[in-house]
Amino acid sequence: MPHAREHRVVGLKRLFGGSSRETYAFDLEWSEGGKTRTRPMIGRRDPTGGLLKTDREREFKVIAAMHRAGLKVPEPLFLELDASVMDRPFFIMHRAPGRTGMGAFPAMEAESTRAKVTDDFLSELARLQSLDYRECGLEILGAPKNPEDPARIQAAHWSEVYERDRMGEHYPILTAAFAWLNANPVVTDRVVIVHGDYRSGNYLYDENGIIAMLDWELAHLGDPMEDLGWASMMFWGRDELAGGLMERETFYRLYEQKTGYRVDRRRLFFYQVLGNAKMAVICLSGICGFVEGRTSDSVMPFLELLIPRLFEDLADQLRLV
Amino acid sequence: MLRPTLNELISGMQRTIMDSLLPELTSPYAQGQAMSAIGMLAHAAAVLESAPAYDSAEIKDLRATFAALKRLGDKHISKKSGLRGALARAIRAGAKSPPDRRAMEAAMAAFAAAVALGHAGDGIARHVRGYIRRNLERTRNLLGNSLPSA
Repeated sequence: MPHAREHRVVGLKRLFGGSSRETYAFDLEWSEGGKTRTRPMIGRRDPTGGLLKTDREREFKVIAAMHRAGLKVPEPLFLELDASVMDRPFFIMHRAPGRTGMGAFPAMEAESTRAKVTDDFLSELARLQSLDYRECGLEILGAPKNPEDPARIQAAHWSEVYERDRMGEHYPILTAAFAWLNANPVVTDRVVIVHGDYRSGNYLYDENGIIAMLDWELAHLGDPMEDLGWASMMFWGRDELAGGLMERETFYRLYEQKTGYRVDRRRLFFYQVLGNAKMAVICLSGICGFVEGRTSDSVMPFLELLIPRLFEDLADQLRLV
Repeated sequence: MLRPTLNELISGMQRTIMDSLLPELTSPYAQGQAMSAIGMLAHAAAVLESAPAYDSAEIKDLRATFAALKRLGDKHISKKSGLRGALARAIRAGAKSPPDRRAMEAAMAAFAAAVALGHAGDGIARHVRGYIRRNLERTRNLLGNSLPSA
């Protein structure tokens, strides 16, 4: 904005959600060519402690690459890594309109809205998985060297976070899950950009469909079944509806139509086991941050209430009941 | 008895937040945090009441499960599985006063992993699955069975 003058931040308010970063909404006003202009913005600032430790520069670069590639994401505008400006690094994005939920797509929404969101959800996933990460400039995400690496790397990463944040406790089901994941790695057929948290609850939508996919902080390179498995986990769904959007098998068939690739059931299952274990670990990390005083977000202790369901799903998957 | 009791203190803190703090807050984020804090205090009161029974049921069940596994005898637990050592540690941990719950859960984690990997025989698997089923039921009764959309 080289010709912009007299910038003003108006209506700054902190938002719920985005628990791994502090999220603020505001309007930016400025003068340009004798006129006052306004743009709705979102600021994401590094937390003092939160759900996960992730790299904001990496997140910003991924969103920028997705925006250049034409995916539905908020336009990223500024990245400030100098902590002296606002205590901690932050970045600014355009504030997209629309509404969102916590998890499964809300049951009370109109059927036509649900159909459009479902179609967009899988179309965007297919577009994401069709991108060449090299052309997107996303080698920074670390390309796996071998087709068996994505599964091993993800299992090892979340197992490490579990060991770090379990606060001395032992959770037999979670320990069993990581033992199973380590013993049953799957081999991917291609390496794609993985969102890492692609699910209902992480997009803005209205009656015309999805407006923007959010929360790219867990993006990495890996197996396309990882995002599909995560998106269709029972945990993010409602009854038999994947993501609260569509009956699970129909969802997989539509994915196949849109991507031109078959759903590999063995890999899908692996990533759903990993998904339940990963989500349980994310909950433990939030609780750990709260217990150790790194965050005072009063939502963190309630993550405990989500763990029983994840353990039940894992126990079913691993035939532990 | 010392008054106020812990539960009375918690109720009082909830009222302080609701009646004195919340009306003074103008930011929706701060209001939300205050409401979460009220919920957290309610959860704390519930946990204070039910956690001791949960913990003692867990310890009793772990002890009983390990005793049953021991009764199966060595022929059901191969030496190379490493489970004999885990079982011995669990029995010792259960005999301590107070019992070492974490050590027993660490041993149960080893048994659960063996079952998930198909490295445990039917006899072991039956006892481990039985424990996990009961553990999940107790946890569900204590914490509910919530999904993020709820």
